[in-house]
Amino acid sequence: MKGTYLGELEELVLLHVGILHPNAYAVTVMDEIARQTGRTLNISAVHSVLTRLEEKGFLKSKMSTPTEERGGRRKRIFMFTAAGKRVLEEAMELRVQLFNQIPKIALQ
Amino acid sequence: MKDMPPKWADKFLEWYCRPDLLEDIQGDVYELFYRSVKTGRRKAKLYFIWNVFRYFRWKNIRRTPAHQSTTFMTRSMLKNILLVWFRQLVRQPGNSFLNVFGLSAGFTCAFLILLWVTHEYSFDKFHADPDRIFRVMTHAEAGGTFQTYNVAASAIDVSSIPEVETLVSVSSGTRWPHELCFRPDGKPDECIYLNGVYASEHLFSVFNFPILKGAPDPLKGTASIAISESMAKKLYGADDPIGKTIRIDDRREVVIASVFRDIPLNSSLKFDFALTFDILKKQWGMNDQQFAGQFFNIYLKTNKPIAPAQLTAKLNDVRVLTAPFREQHLSYQAHPLVDWRLKAKFEDGKNTGGRIEYVILFIIIGVLIVVMAVINFVNMSTARAALRAREIGIRKVTGAFRSTIVAQFMGESFLIVLMAFAFSVLATQLLLPFFNTLLDEPIGFNILTGDIPGYLFLFLAGVSVLAGIYPAFIMSSFLPAQVLKGQIAGNASGSTLFRKALLVVQLTVSAGIIIFSGVLYLQLNYVSEKNLGFDRGNMIRLEPTYQLLQKFDRFSDMLKRDPSITAVGASSVNPLSAGGGNSGVTWPGKAADQDVMFTTFSCSYEFPEMLGLRLVEGRHFQPQPLDSARTEVLVSEDAVKIMGLTEPEGTEIRIGNSPCVIVGVVNNFHTGSLHQQRLPAILCRTRHEHTSAVYIRYRAGEAQRAMETLSKVHKELEPARTMRYWFQDETFDGLYKTEIIASHLAQMFTWAALVIAIIGIVGLSTFNTMRKHKEIGIRRVFGASKAQVLSMLFNHFSWVLVISMAIAGPVAWYIGHRWLEGFAYHIDIPWWIFGATFVGVATLIALIIWAQGVRVISTNPTQTLRGNE
Repeated sequence: MKGTYLGELEELVLLHVGILHPNAYAVTVMDEIARQTGRTLNISAVHSVLTRLEEKGFLKSKMSTPTEERGGRRKRIFMFTAAGKRVLEEAMELRVQLFNQIPKIALQ
Repeated sequence: MKDMPPKWADKFLEWYCRPDLLEDIQGDVYELFYRSVKTGRRKAKLYFIWNVFRYFRWKNIRRTPAHQSTTFMTRSMLKNILLVWFRQLVRQPGNSFLNVFGLSAGFTCAFLILLWVTHEYSFDKFHADPDRIFRVMTHAEAGGTFQTYNVAASAIDVSSIPEVETLVSVSSGTRWPHELCFRPDGKPDECIYLNGVYASEHLFSVFNFPILKGAPDPLKGTASIAISESMAKKLYGADDPIGKTIRIDDRREVVIASVFRDIPLNSSLKFDFALTFDILKKQWGMNDQQFAGQFFNIYLKTNKPIAPAQLTAKLNDVRVLTAPFREQHLSYQAHPLVDWRLKAKFEDGKNTGGRIEYVILFIIIGVLIVVMAVINFVNMSTARAALRAREIGIRKVTGAFRSTIVAQFMGESFLIVLMAFAFSVLATQLLLPFFNTLLDEPIGFNILTGDIPGYLFLFLAGVSVLAGIYPAFIMSSFLPAQVLKGQIAGNASGSTLFRKALLVVQLTVSAGIIIFSGVLYLQLNYVSEKNLGFDRGNMIRLEPTYQLLQKFDRFSDMLKRDPSITAVGASSVNPLSAGGGNSGVTWPGKAADQDVMFTTFSCSYEFPEMLGLRLVEGRHFQPQPLDSARTEVLVSEDAVKIMGLTEPEGTEIRIGNSPCVIVGVVNNFHTGSLHQQRLPAILCRTRHEHTSAVYIRYRAGEAQRAMETLSKVHKELEPARTMRYWFQDETFDGLYKTEIIASHLAQMFTWAALVIAIIGIVGLSTFNTMRKHKEIGIRRVFGASKAQVLSMLFNHFSWVLVISMAIAGPVAWYIGHRWLEGFAYHIDIPWWIFGATFVGVATLIALIIWAQGVRVISTNPTQTLRGNE
């Protein structure tokens, strides 16, 4: 099902939104991904992933108070929705489950 | 100063970005810009631009153009407006039909008038330098009044006027030697009569009559002829006519030098062939001296545009208007080419207009008819505004601007006008042949030639704006809150007054046109029934050859053998149009300074009696041989009175230099159109050979039999000639051609005006009845009779009717009176015509109201009162 499917980049962004809570917005997410994984993404790419996640219902957003560094504009702060948390957990569980099924010999 | 990102990139972002995402995205790129500006301004700017472009994604782009919230018309709205318009059109077919039909009728009239006016104005304008060509008119003074002729002395010498570049003299006419018999190639027994001119050398260089084949100056030779394209086709078919020989009157040989393009319909100067003056001289059998004394049409071309008055002054200089002419009380006037068609009427030596009066009159009528049609449209649309008030209210509530509503109604008007326009263009094209027969002369235009489409386009634009603007502004002014609550009464009553005012205009125009065309009709009726003093009916005029006149007695005997032919006579002049007067009559006791115009013409001895002149005194001419010393004459009663003779019989008078004796007195009779005052008449007896036409009187109702006999006898006596004849009745109508045409046009426009006015009344009374639905119901409940209710409805119109008649009556009377003044003999405008028009219009209104009201009245009042609408 397309609606619940979580892409690799989407999962990454979703995780970082969680890490940065309660200060996750496009710029911080982009910086954090660069810092944590070394992947440099364009701001527009991050932005579109964030809006896509919001459309899928994994994130919700609200506007912050106006800020100086953005020329008096507000930030769009992203947070998990219940579905967002669950999809992360499910992804995590699936990964652990699958990882545990790998024969030890294969990992050596 | 703080560093700023590149402005254009920012603007670009603002332009493309979805408004709900703009703050977010702009915030991101600004934040990144401010952060990176510390490491380098240039780099930061490039980074900003890069980011802006990276954000330019399908998802982020706005879907509708900028400033959506202020746009006054969207596509879906347009679609809806068109849909609503179409539904209206279909749902109320009667209404739509009236609307479109009324406009179409008006437009068609206007287009026909436009074609006619364009035709009239285009006359002679096709010549090169039309402002440099003049015709010399001659005023002849006699008895204190002036007669004007469009000819001048052929010997006129204009060499003293430096402005005159070229002079052309032209001799034109309707009879021999201008109308000649031509025999087609290889058919020597056939005879085609064609009319042409004799002209001096420069005819084809001054006037724009293009030579198609042959010599460019055909009139330079002595025995050459130029013929028109159609004449060449008639005589030679497809063969090349150049160099062929034509025998004029079967004897004089001329060579075809050139072929010219057919003269356009809108030319005052018309001819099928042009011959040299040499030929005319021979035809008339004149020597040079006699010939030099003739009068011809004289045309001048100047080397620069010159004021006609200036040229007139120079023409009357003693070097041009020489002493002998001055002694004859002649004077010249330069008549500019542009006025030849429209301002060719001269009264008492002054140019007093002419056709231009009719042209202006019909332009006014045309404009009035269009105004009426447009008023109808405005009236009907505003009347229906009340019905559509809800629609407008809803539109406004859902966010339509006033400009949207204006555009909607302007658009609706435009569509209706466009429909009517299309119909009327079609109708005009279809009516054009009929219109041409009405005008008795083909209009050289159709609706798609020349500048006309341009005028039509202007017309379309103008009328759509005129028709649309008032309804649009009225309807768009409705306040939605009031409208939706059903309170529009205040607004509607204001426009009711306006609608009534418009109806006044309409009825005024219709009544005015009806009265005027009635006056025209009555006058023409008077003219055709007027006793001219002789019997003009049942008479054929035959144009004989000289040979036939020599055999007159035999011809007459052969004809009279048939009982359908009662009398035969011959005359030098058609008594219906004897033309200008003769001031050279002297009688015993005539005062030296007395200057009186007479109509004098010579005729055979049978003629006065066959004409139906009543003998008052003395005797008619007798068949005995002519008195060689004195010419016998008959005079009219007027002539006796003017000469002051107590015993006219036997009195000797002189006409010019020839002695005459009065043998009898006949009743007064008209010898010209009724525009002119009747002149005293003198008929001189002459030989048959000296007359120009034979008149044949036949028994009433036996025209066909008489014609058969006539052609049989003619064939026997003149086997090689086609008979040329006219019915006198038709010639008589020809005298009033312009007036008859004007009357036909006026009648046609009367119908159009009437139709439009009816539509107007129907429209307004429908609306009125609809509005008074409930009032009628209540009145009926309280016992009002049907008649009372109807009169209540009619009262609505009574003032409108009275006011419009009060305006139309005097105006129509004045215009009619002015028109009648053009006739020396005319009717007085009868008073009943005003009364009849008033009663007629009132009856019409009453009928329409009755037809509309009776349905409403007959419905059960409980129904109308219970219903919400």
